[in-house]
This record gives sequence, structure tokens and C-alpha cells, in this order.
Amino acid sequence: MAPDSEEPEEAAPALSLSLAGPERGVLAALRAAGPIPVEEGALPAATGLSLEAVRGALQRLRSKGLAVVEEEHREELQLTDRGTAARQNGLPERRLVRALADRAGPMEPKDLVAIGLVDEERSAALGILRRRGFLAPGVPFRLADAHPDPATPFPEEDALDRVAAGDGALDEAVVKELRRRGLLSVERRSEKRWQPSDEGRRAVLLDDAQLLGSVTPAMLRDGTWTSAEFRQYDVRATVPYVTGARPHRYSAWLREFEEILLGLGFEQSEGPLLETEFWNSDVLFMPQDHPARSIHDVLSVVGVSGRLPPTELLERVAAVHEGDPLPGETEPISPGWRAPYDRSVARRLVLRSQTTSVSARYLAAGPKPPFRMFSLDRNFRVEAVDATHHIDFTQCEGILGGAGTSLRDLVGMFQSLADAIGIRELRIRPSYFPFTEPSVEGYVKHPRLGWIEVFPGGMFRPEVLRPLRVEVPVAAWGIGVMRLAMVALGVSDIRDLFQDDLERLGGGSG
Amino acid sequence: MPRASIPRERLAAALGKNLSDSELRDLLWTTKAEFDGSDGGSLTIEATADRLDLLTEAGLALALAPKVGGTHGLPPIVPGFWDGPSPVFEVDDSVAPLRPAIAGVIVQAPADRPLDAALLDEAIRFQELLHATYGADRRRASLGVYPTDRFQFPVRYRLRPIAGTRFVPLDGTTEVDVAAFLREHPLGLRYGPLGISGGQLLVLEDADGVVLSLPPTLNSRTAGEARPGDRSLLIESTGMTDARVRETVGLLSLVFVANGWRVVPVGTRRPDSADDGHGVVAARPLPLTLATLDAISGRRYTVSEGEHLLAEARLGAHPVAGGFSVEVPPWRPDLLSEVDVAEDVVLARGVRSEEGVVPPSATRGRRRPETVFRRRFADLLLGLGYAELYTPLLVSREVDTLLAPTGAIAVANPVSDLFSHVRNRLLPSFLTSLAHNVRHSYPQRMFEVGPVVVVDPTSETGGRTLYRAGAVFAGERAGFADGAALLDYLSGAVAAVGVREPVEIPGTIPGRAARLRLAGESIGEVAELHPSVLSALRIPVPVAWAELDVSALWPLARRAPEAPM
Repeated sequence: MAPDSEEPEEAAPALSLSLAGPERGVLAALRAAGPIPVEEGALPAATGLSLEAVRGALQRLRSKGLAVVEEEHREELQLTDRGTAARQNGLPERRLVRALADRAGPMEPKDLVAIGLVDEERSAALGILRRRGFLAPGVPFRLADAHPDPATPFPEEDALDRVAAGDGALDEAVVKELRRRGLLSVERRSEKRWQPSDEGRRAVLLDDAQLLGSVTPAMLRDGTWTSAEFRQYDVRATVPYVTGARPHRYSAWLREFEEILLGLGFEQSEGPLLETEFWNSDVLFMPQDHPARSIHDVLSVVGVSGRLPPTELLERVAAVHEGDPLPGETEPISPGWRAPYDRSVARRLVLRSQTTSVSARYLAAGPKPPFRMFSLDRNFRVEAVDATHHIDFTQCEGILGGAGTSLRDLVGMFQSLADAIGIRELRIRPSYFPFTEPSVEGYVKHPRLGWIEVFPGGMFRPEVLRPLRVEVPVAAWGIGVMRLAMVALGVSDIRDLFQDDLERLGGGSG
Repeated sequence: MPRASIPRERLAAALGKNLSDSELRDLLWTTKAEFDGSDGGSLTIEATADRLDLLTEAGLALALAPKVGGTHGLPPIVPGFWDGPSPVFEVDDSVAPLRPAIAGVIVQAPADRPLDAALLDEAIRFQELLHATYGADRRRASLGVYPTDRFQFPVRYRLRPIAGTRFVPLDGTTEVDVAAFLREHPLGLRYGPLGISGGQLLVLEDADGVVLSLPPTLNSRTAGEARPGDRSLLIESTGMTDARVRETVGLLSLVFVANGWRVVPVGTRRPDSADDGHGVVAARPLPLTLATLDAISGRRYTVSEGEHLLAEARLGAHPVAGGFSVEVPPWRPDLLSEVDVAEDVVLARGVRSEEGVVPPSATRGRRRPETVFRRRFADLLLGLGYAELYTPLLVSREVDTLLAPTGAIAVANPVSDLFSHVRNRLLPSFLTSLAHNVRHSYPQRMFEVGPVVVVDPTSETGGRTLYRAGAVFAGERAGFADGAALLDYLSGAVAAVGVREPVEIPGTIPGRAARLRLAGESIGEVAELHPSVLSALRIPVPVAWAELDVSALWPLARRAPEAPM
């Protein structure tokens, strides 16, 4: 654009403002002071408002861009209570030297008590008078032969007087010593000086008394609103905080995660939280002596007992554990765990330690291939609760089965899930689970946390599928979704996923 | 995951190459081992529980060698030569109830390389790792290593009276009474009970009655101390099952076989059976068909590719019609069947994320209708201004006691008193949350739709997982009527109009508690909480509580034609 086509800059037109009473009064007082900034403390007198009201009005004027503030911070010396007392009664060294001069003779230590010097004052006074040549060495205490004139003021006395008078010219070393002795303190003060902004100076203040405030039922009845104007509100001003109910952020996040799985064609399944070891572990080909089944890892219960599954299923599972052929067959699937299978263990009850048991129950029900199932639910483990561990943890179990299902489908599913949570980079590395072979672990690259383990999974072993009479390959994964939730929700402490503080939940109170 | 410290120098020597930390981290990415840091000359390596063999210099070098241009294939397991009395364990029936299984092998050093301190150190480290992991702290299997020139075969494994038995402990210098050893020595105190029955204990003793060891506790110094310079060692394991002790011996043999030592089987003779011990450290065959490999991996493998990858996995491979006969070494007990071998091939190639296929979905994703039904109550309660909670299923002993008797199932091995009982109502969780919020203003409204577990002797699992929708209203004016109104509202919203009937619920004010009944089923509870409960938790206002048993309501609501679903 050519320079001559530019429009000349014009001054902004003056605003017409209707301000609430305190703001109007304070702005008027600031304008009355002309170009001189007004100290905040002077405004109550100028406006007839309380300091609190003045401060509130100033903040609102500032937020509206009608007033500006300059702030000055400074340190100010103050007499402490002890300093005030010393100034009135005399410093300990003054009282001692005065007593020695009055007595014209030596003083015993007990005499120092008699003149009212407490322990720390005695030692301070003696030390100062000795250093300054007032005292002769040794005890009893007496004035030195050639001592300074006791009538001459001490520099400390002079400093205390100056501080009391607000005189700032002080010897730093003396001040430091008096502060050490607890006679002076430093107060940090800030002083705010206000003046109108350019807009605040130019604005035309409307006569508020003629303007209407809130709409009232009476106003609507008698029609008074037709002949007056409404006062304009500052629409940018802070308004009261509305409290209201909200879904719990973790359960809401879990439902969002469910949506991803529903979108990928998975149907939801659930299983019991109190589970037999048969379904929690045996049917998954976890050896009965597997360390992860011990009381150090799994929560068991007292006072209730479980029952064995249908005999036919139990015997099929027992056969794969012991390395025997399935009933009616001649060849074992594998050597199994080369140890006797203890049926009494199968009926023991635990709090479910993995949602894989839900997969087992789902498969036992004979789903028609192809199938995709997920279970996003609670599990429990023996775990001291801290920032990264919880006894009650959520796992998302998923299986997909059908003719031709392979490890590549599983990896593809990891990719789909990673995509869905907004992560593009995925790496796979080997892992181990007793019920899958191959077993892998999907790592995703998080922008902040780097590579994190997210997707453990694998292909269910024949020792899992055959006893359940599943004839198609099944890929399975079990994601510890709490970690994902923590990342997604910006939570660094797993306990925050169980947040029950109403203030932090954002609603429900009031 | 199990972990071990591996001397960097020894790994470098075994590989013929010194790897930097980052090289090692990258190379191990495709294995079941993981680099977990280094400290001067020591590397910290973790491995999955099925691959303990990777936690030795020997095993790690075997796995890494093909990746750095080193050797491939199954390392040779070379038979040794034994010209002494027949190497055999004579097993007495007396051991059967206590610790029945035993297996062993003799390993013999190459002529120019007798046992050195570093190899002995590696063997001892791996032995201790196996004790802790595969041996389940020696309960299932324990190991001993003995120089064969200090005892005579046959070695007898039997129970022997404690009284009168003496030996020199491996860490001692003088002969001690075994009874005193069991009473006083740290290992005797810890592991002694595993080998004692009545007044007798397990011993391994040689043909002359010299004590080799007290399984599973400690070797004797006389015949059970391997030293640098030794050329022939017996590796022995006792335990609970034949399979476990054979596998344990097989694992430890890796350290020696990979260093060129030869093996001599050690037989086992029992009163009614015998085994020549050849299977303990021999490679065993497993089949692998290309069809299985292709099906699991989702891609096609050629014979030559499969053969090459099996060699990279340090397994022996012999092509046969349709696949391979695979030779599995004794230190790979994790390979049970064809699918396990297939995994080794797949992992040797590497699982590549870019090869994932997103299978077209022939299924329809759907929530369970019951969970949709449950969620309706959450929506209703949110609409009423109640804040949603998500609380642990386990509740504290303190709250359970306050509401006693609750009938809640107790955890047998609680981690703490804060999580000692499985809630059978949402009420204990609400109380916990109310107590957490006493510093905030009132009234307070909170709800949860979540699981509880109730005892049910007719169930396979001894209990039933039920879902409840519950809420509490805490405020100066809260009372029974608030809870009752809420319960009526929630049940009415699904056209389930029940009848309130009086009931006693511990922790509530007598005469201010009711059960909501519909079609003979209890579908909910409501009450005003007792001041004793409130004051115990320092809750300063009255509290109305209501819970709907959504699981009980679901089949009723489903039957009701007017139920809005």
C-alpha cells in the first residue's frame, strides 16, 4: 500500500462509563490529583470509603484498564519491643556503666542482678564495656583507671534514636549489631501509587444515580424500565464461581477408552471380582506354583469358599497342566508343567488379579468366531499404595479370535489403539506371559515420557485354547490403562485417579 | 523381572567384542533380556522369568553372538570320558516324602583350561540366582557343585539320623555336629527345615560315607568345595519333581558347556527303577512345521529362512518334510512345544510394528446392556448436582468396624488396614469420602455407581459381584426423607416403583432405615446415618444415604414394558 493512502492515526474517542459507586469515587479522586500518583493509603480519606473498599475498587478499575499502579518495595528499620524498652530504660551497657560511676567502687556479679540486668544483658554489657575500655580486667567489676567519658552517648543509643525518628542515615555495622541483639528489625513495605490510565482520564463518567441496576419484578410490573437506561456492566469482571456436578474424570476417561474399543468392533464383557484360582490362573495355564500366584502377589479372602468348575473342564485343564493328553486324545499338547495338578487349589478364592480371567470365561462360553471382546475393569494385587502403585488397578483386556488371526493382527490392533490415543510411534519387543506364545510388549513413544510399555499381549497358547474347545487362534492383550489415564489426565500420582476431594472434583458442594 | 550383574570384561571376552552400553541396549531390544544400567565393570541385565539362561555371561553371549557377527546354532554338547566307578546316585526310599527328586551331570574341563576363578564365580552367581528363582528359594530345587576327585561314586542320597552326623560346613574349617549346625548356622536355620524329617535329615554321602552336602542347605568343605584348578565337577540338584531338578541341572550346565566343558551323564538308581541320566544334559527334539510358524506369525517363512533364524536363536535345526526337527538344549526348559519354538523364530527375526495389519472388523462393538442401564443412574445423579466418585472396592477396617456387623468379606492378606474388607455396600466408601471432605462447606452431595461383592454360598465363586448406584447427601437439613426421595426418584426413573419397608441397618438410626422392595426382591436401601458413626468420623452434619441395587433391578426393569431403556 502506498504511504499516501494510509489514513492518519486518530485518537480513540472517549468512553462513556457507568461505574459502580466505589469505582466512580476512586477514579474521581485519582483524576482530581492531576498528574501526581496517589498513594493507596491516602484514598480512604479522599473518598470516604474503607481501605478494603478502596482496594477492591482499584483492582476493578485496573482490570478495566482505567487505572494504573506503580509499586515500590522498600525495607524499613523498626525498633523491636526490646529496642523500644532499651531506648526508654537505657541499653544494658549504659545501665551498667551508670551504676559503676554512681557507686564509685567495684561491683560483685550479684550486684549486676540487683541493677536489673538479666543473664544475656549482663554478658553483653560486660563484653561491650570491656572492649571499649570502660572496665578494668577481672572481678569484681570496676571502671578502668583511664576510661572514656561515661556521659558520651554510645553509637547504639544514637542509632536507636534515629530509627525512632525515622532518620535513615545510620552506620551499617551498628545496625547489624543491633539487629543481632534483637533491638532492631527490618520491615519490608510496599507502597502502591495509583493514577488514572489515559482511558481513565478521558472517560466520561455517567451519572449512575439515573441508571437502572438489576431487572426487578416490580420494574416489569410498573414499566419504569421504559423511561430509563440500564447501567452497563463490565462483562469482563470476575463473577461468582458456579459449583456443579461433573462426571469423575477417571471414570469419564474410562468410558472414552471404551468408545475406542467399541469403535474397533469389540463387545464388552464382565466377570466376577471375587474369583476362583481356577479361572484366575489355572485355566490360563499359569503353573500352580507360579510366583505371581503367591500370597505376596494375589489377595485372598477368608470366610467364603469356592467351588470347582464343571468336572469335564476341570479335567481338561488338569491334563494340560500335567502334560497328559486331553481326555479322549492320545497325544499331549505339551509336557505341561511336569508337576501334579492340585484340584484343591482350583477352588481357592482370590480377588481377581487380571482381567484375562474374563477372557477365559468368555471363551468358555463358546463364542462364535470371529469375535472381539474387551473388558475394562478392576483387578487387585498385593501392593503398597504409593504414587505409582495401587491395590485396586484397572486393566483393559482384549481378545480377537478367528480363522487366520495372527501376531500381525495383534500388532495391527496395537497400532490402532496407539493411533486412537494420539500416539504414532510403536515398537515391539519380546515379553513373557505363561498364557501366550509368542508374548510381546508394545512400547509407544510419548512426547514427554519417551518410550513407555503400554501393550502387553500375545497369542493364547494351545494349552489355554484347547481345554476351552476354542478351535481358532486368539490374540490377546491386557493393558494397564491406569498409566495411560495418568498420562492423558496429566496426573503424576495414581491415587489421584481415586480423587474424592469435592473441591478438586469440581462440584457437588454447596 | 529377575536380574543379574554380569562382568563386562567376561561378556566381551565371550563375544570377542566390547559393546558400549547403548549398543548393548539396542541389541538386547529384540531379546527377552534388557540392559538396565552399568556400574564400572559390571552390567545389570534383566530377563523375563522364562529366560534365566540370559542372566549369565555364557547365555548372554550365546544370544548376542549372532547379532555381532559371531557364532550361530546350537553350541556342541560334547560327551566326556569317565573311567572311575560308575557315576550314579543311589536314592534311598526314605527321601521320597521329603524331597524325592535328584539329578546330576559331571562336567569336565578342556585339557588346557581348568576351572578358573572367573568361571567359578559365574557358576556360583548363577547357582544362587537359580536357587532364588527357579528353585523357589530352594524349596523346589537346589544345586550343589562338587570336585569329583574328592569323593567316590556311587553317591548315596538318603535320610540319616541327625544325632551323630558331623561335617565340615563349606564356610567352616572344623568338623561340627550337624545338630548344632542346624541350630546356629544362618543357612541351617533358614533351609535346614526343608531337609529334616523327625530326627533325620537329608544327606548326600559318597561310597565311603563322606558327607558331600546336606541338601538343600550347604555343601561340606571336605568334598563339596570347588576350587580354581579343578578339572572335573559334579553338578547335582535335589528337589520336589524330576522335571524341575533335571531342568535346574540343565540350566547350570550352560555355564560350563558354553565354555567348552564336556559332559558325563550321572545315573539314578532307586530300589525299583533306574535312569542312566543321559536325558539330563542332552538336546531334545521338538517339531516345528512351517504351517504353524506361518499361522502364528501371519507371514510366510521359507525353509532356509527358518533354518537361519533357528540358528540365530541358538537352536539346532534339521529340515524335515513340512518344517524342522529342532534340537533344544537343556538350558532352555521354557521351550515346551512347537509354539514356543515358533516364538524363538519370530523373535529372532524381530516383531516389526510396520508389519501389523489392522484386521477388518466383522464384529459389531457394543456395550453390555446392563452397563448402559447402570450408567443411566449416573446421569440422573449428575443431573441432581451430585459429584461422581470412583473409589476403591476395598474399604478400611475402621469403617467396617463402625458399621459392624457388615457381613463384608475380609481380605486374608491385607496390605494395610486401609484396604482390609471387600465392600458389600457403597456406604463404607461414602463414609470414607465424607470423612475426607469435612474441611469443605456443606451441603455435600456425592454418588458412585460401582461394584460391591456379597457372600453367596450358591455361587461358584462364593460371592456375587453386584453393581449399586448410591448417593449421600450431607447437610444441616439432611434427613431420611432426602434419601427416600432420592431412592424413589432413581427407581421411578426406570419405572420400578417399589415399596419401602422398615429394616435395621447397622450404622443408621433405628426407625430411620428402609429397604426398597419390588416383586419380592430387595432393590435398594435408604437410611439416615447414626450420629455415633458421624461423630467417629468427625462429620459435622446429618447424612442421608440411599443405594439402589442396580444388578437386582436390571432383570426387573428389563421385564417391565414401560421401562425406558
